[in-house]
Amino acid sequence: MSNPHPLPHADRTPRTILVVEDEILIRMLISDELRDAGFEVIEAASADDALGVLASGHPIDLVFTDVRMPGSIDGAELASRIKKNHAEMQVILTSGHLPAHEALSIAPFIAKPYSIAKAIALIDATLGSISDLGLSA
Amino acid sequence: MTSSKSCILVVDADILVRHALAEYLRDCGYRVIEAVNADEAMAVLMEPTVTPHVVLADVTDPEIFDGFGLARWIRANRTGVEVILVGSIRKAAAEAAELCEEGPHLSKPYEPAVVVDRIKKLLAAAARAQ
Repeated sequence: MSNPHPLPHADRTPRTILVVEDEILIRMLISDELRDAGFEVIEAASADDALGVLASGHPIDLVFTDVRMPGSIDGAELASRIKKNHAEMQVILTSGHLPAHEALSIAPFIAKPYSIAKAIALIDATLGSISDLGLSA
Repeated sequence: MTSSKSCILVVDADILVRHALAEYLRDCGYRVIEAVNADEAMAVLMEPTVTPHVVLADVTDPEIFDGFGLARWIRANRTGVEVILVGSIRKAAAEAAELCEEGPHLSKPYEPAVVVDRIKKLLAAAARAQ
């Protein structure tokens, strides 16, 4: 498969992104594109599943999470817990609705529907590999 | 890709099991789509832009996921899609290894026992943390 979004530093160890999204077709699309861009991707369908991955100790560099999802907690609460318990881990929030101000203060936000290229650029910038894209959360 | 079986839909409610199986199959050269339950699997199978050739579905916990019901739905609505139902992690890894031997890379990236060991370690770590 061709790679439409090649990473500028493709020779480095792949970064691992935990994608948390309850809409299967959106999760499939963004995950496929991230893999094509050189990331390792773990797919979670809920914040509860994401907590299971974090508890397993699997190394995660960044969590890209929807805000509104069914389950015991939503994406904003997941981001809050990650910031509290995994300070080294980066988080990006996404939603079709603007989250509460508190959530926006926790992590960068990209509104749905998002372009795949912009989402990947924001992920890369948040991971610190690209500092001059001019993107802001 | 050289094989006609280039896309596999892995259906398993347990994220740690599903991810390990999916990564193994990706290492074999397949495109892998991951679904949590029958509803997600059917959404993928009704999507015209994707064509899974094989569905590898867990049936270990019918209260969470009705793999047999999904198999019946696929036979009625998506003829030509092969369905493999598995009842244990070891069986799932063995079936994945068989798929690898007829897959795009025509070889297993590592032994299925490694997949099983990895899944068990992740599950044990998650259980300890709870």
